[in-house]
Amino acid sequence: MSQRFDGAYAVYLTLNGAIVAFLLLPIAVVIVFALNPTPYIAFPPVGVTLRWFVKFFTSPEFMNALWLSFYVAVVVVILSTVIGAMCALAIARGNLPGPRLLTTVFLSPLMLPAILTGLALFQLFMLAGVGRPVWGLIVGHTLVAVPYVLRTTLAVLQDFDRRVEEAAAMLGASPARVFFEVTLPLIRPGVIAGGIFAFIVSFDQLPISLFLVVPSGETLPVVLLNYIRFDLDGAIAAASTVSIVLALSAVVLLERIIGLRAYVRL
Amino acid sequence: MTKCKLSRRKFLKALGGVAAAATIGTPAVHAQTPVLKTTAWGGKWGEVLKGQVIPAFEKQFKCKVETDSAFPYYPKLQSTPKNAPLYDVLHTNTSEQWQAVVEGLVEPKLSAKDIPNLADLYAYATSDKICGVSAFTSAIGFGYRTDKGLSEPKSWKDLADPKFAGARGSYIIPVNSLGQMHLMMLGKLYGKGLTDLDAAYKALEQLKPIKMYDFTGGMEKALLSAEVNIGVLHDSGIYRYDGQNQPVAFAAPSEGVLSLEQVWNITPGTKMRELANQYINFILSPDVQKTLCEAVWYSPSNKKVKLGPNYDSKLYNTEAKVAQLIQVDWKWYNERKDDIDARVTRILRG
Repeated sequence: MSQRFDGAYAVYLTLNGAIVAFLLLPIAVVIVFALNPTPYIAFPPVGVTLRWFVKFFTSPEFMNALWLSFYVAVVVVILSTVIGAMCALAIARGNLPGPRLLTTVFLSPLMLPAILTGLALFQLFMLAGVGRPVWGLIVGHTLVAVPYVLRTTLAVLQDFDRRVEEAAAMLGASPARVFFEVTLPLIRPGVIAGGIFAFIVSFDQLPISLFLVVPSGETLPVVLLNYIRFDLDGAIAAASTVSIVLALSAVVLLERIIGLRAYVRL
Repeated sequence: MTKCKLSRRKFLKALGGVAAAATIGTPAVHAQTPVLKTTAWGGKWGEVLKGQVIPAFEKQFKCKVETDSAFPYYPKLQSTPKNAPLYDVLHTNTSEQWQAVVEGLVEPKLSAKDIPNLADLYAYATSDKICGVSAFTSAIGFGYRTDKGLSEPKSWKDLADPKFAGARGSYIIPVNSLGQMHLMMLGKLYGKGLTDLDAAYKALEQLKPIKMYDFTGGMEKALLSAEVNIGVLHDSGIYRYDGQNQPVAFAAPSEGVLSLEQVWNITPGTKMRELANQYINFILSPDVQKTLCEAVWYSPSNKKVKLGPNYDSKLYNTEAKVAQLIQVDWKWYNERKDDIDARVTRILRG
C-alpha cells in the first residue's frame, strides 16, 4: 500500500528532530569526552576508556562532594516542596491582599542574579556570627528552589475544582482529612514537578554554593569549578555524566515511588 | 508481580528524617585544637597540599587547618569583619593580594623574625612588587605545538607573526591575570615600558584574530587539541605533560619571562598569628617546597631547595635563572583596571 508523502508532516518531524538533537547533543559530547582516553576533547574519539570514571570514583574529594550535593538536594526538595506548596495554597486560597504581588515577591529570588543572593546570604551569616553551617547552604538553595514549586503548584491550583473538597467536607471529613486525602493528591503533580526542579536546581547550584560552602564540605559543582581551573581532563566529563545519571535516577525513583504519570497530564 | 514494599508514607518519613538531620550542622571541631583557616587552589595542587603537606603540618603543630578552595576569596574576606577575618592566611595570586592590602585586609610585609625561612628566599619573592611572600612562581612565556613545523619562538613579538593568525591564544584580560600581564608586556615590547598602555592597546589590536581563554586550563587543552598553535602560558602548564608524549613545548622569550607568583599573606585581624607564621614558614621550608614544586612544576622561592634533575634543568631555581623573571606592578594595574577592562573589551570586540 503506498502512502502519500506529507510534506508538512516531514517538516514537523525534521523540526522535532532538530530540537531533540539541540537538547541532547551537548549531553552526548560530555559522554563521548568521558569515555575518550585523551585528556582533552577530541573528535572523533580515539578509543574508549573508563580511566576518567575510575579517577572520579577513587577521588575522596569528588566522592565527598557528590554525597554532600546529593544530601543537600534531597533536603532542599523536602523543604522547598513543603514551603512552596503551602505558599501556593495560601496565595490561591487564602484571600490574601495582593496575591499577584505576593507571587512576584516569592518568585523574586529567580530575578536576582544567584551570585548576589549567595554573597548577600554570606554577608548575613557573617554578620549574624553563625559562620557557614550546612543548614545555611540548604537555606540558600531552598530560597531559589521554592519559586519552582510555587509556580508549578499554582498552575495546578488554577484548574482545581473546589467542589470536590466541599463534597468531602459535606460527607463528614475533617479539614485535615480533606487536605491529605483530597487536596494533596490533586495538587501532587504540580508539587512533584516543582520538587524535581528543586532537586536539579540544588544539585547543580554553583553561584550560591560558592559563597556558602565550608572548607572540606564543598558541593560537586564547586569542586568541579576548582578542578577545571587547573586540571581540565576527562574526570570533569565523567563527573558530569554521573550527575546526569543521578538526576535521571532521581526522576525515575520519584516516578516509581510516588508516580509521575499524573504529572504528564499537566 | 511483586509490589514495592517502600510505601509513600515511609518514604516521606525517611526524607523528613534526612531534613531533620540537616539541622544538626557541621561536625564538631575539637574544642581544644587550634584551627588555622586558609585558602588553597584545587586540582593536583590541592590534592598534594591537602593530602601530604597539611597533614604533616597539623601533626607537627598539633592543630587543624581548614582550607577554602571555593573562589572567590577576596569578596569573602571583604565581607567579614577585619578583627575576625574569614581567613588567617590568604594564599592567592599577586593581583588579588594587592587589592586586599590596599583595603588593609592583609599585611603589607611579613617579618623574617617571625618567619625565619624568609631569609633564604630569592629577592624577587619579597620584592616591592610583592605584599606578603611569593612562595612559588611559574614563568609565563609561550606554549607551542612541536608538530606543526614551527621553530621555537624566541621573542614575545613572535606571537604577532601573521602565520599564527587565528591560531594564537591569550586570555580574557578582565578576568585573567596572565592576560593582564601579557597586556603590560606588550607595552614594554612596543612602547616605553610595562605601563605604556597606549602602545599595549595598539599592539593588542595587531594580534587579532586571537583566541581568548578564561583559564590556563583552557589554553592547555587548546594547545593539546591543536585549536591554537601558540599561546601565552606558564611553564608548569606545559611541563605537567612531561613524559606523556604530547606535541607541546615551552618557550621562554629572550626579553624575559613574566612571573606568576603564588603569594601567601596574613590577615591583620587573625587570632592565630603565631600559627599563621608557622604555616607560612612551613610552606617555605625546603622539603615542602620540593614536594609541591615537583608535584605541579612550580619554581621554588627558597634557594636551598634541591630539585630532582628533570625539574632542576627546567625550573627557575638559580640566581641566574630568576634574573629572567619580570614582575609587574599590580598596585598600579589595579588602580586602572576598570578603564583597561573597558578599553580591551572594545578592542577585542571590534
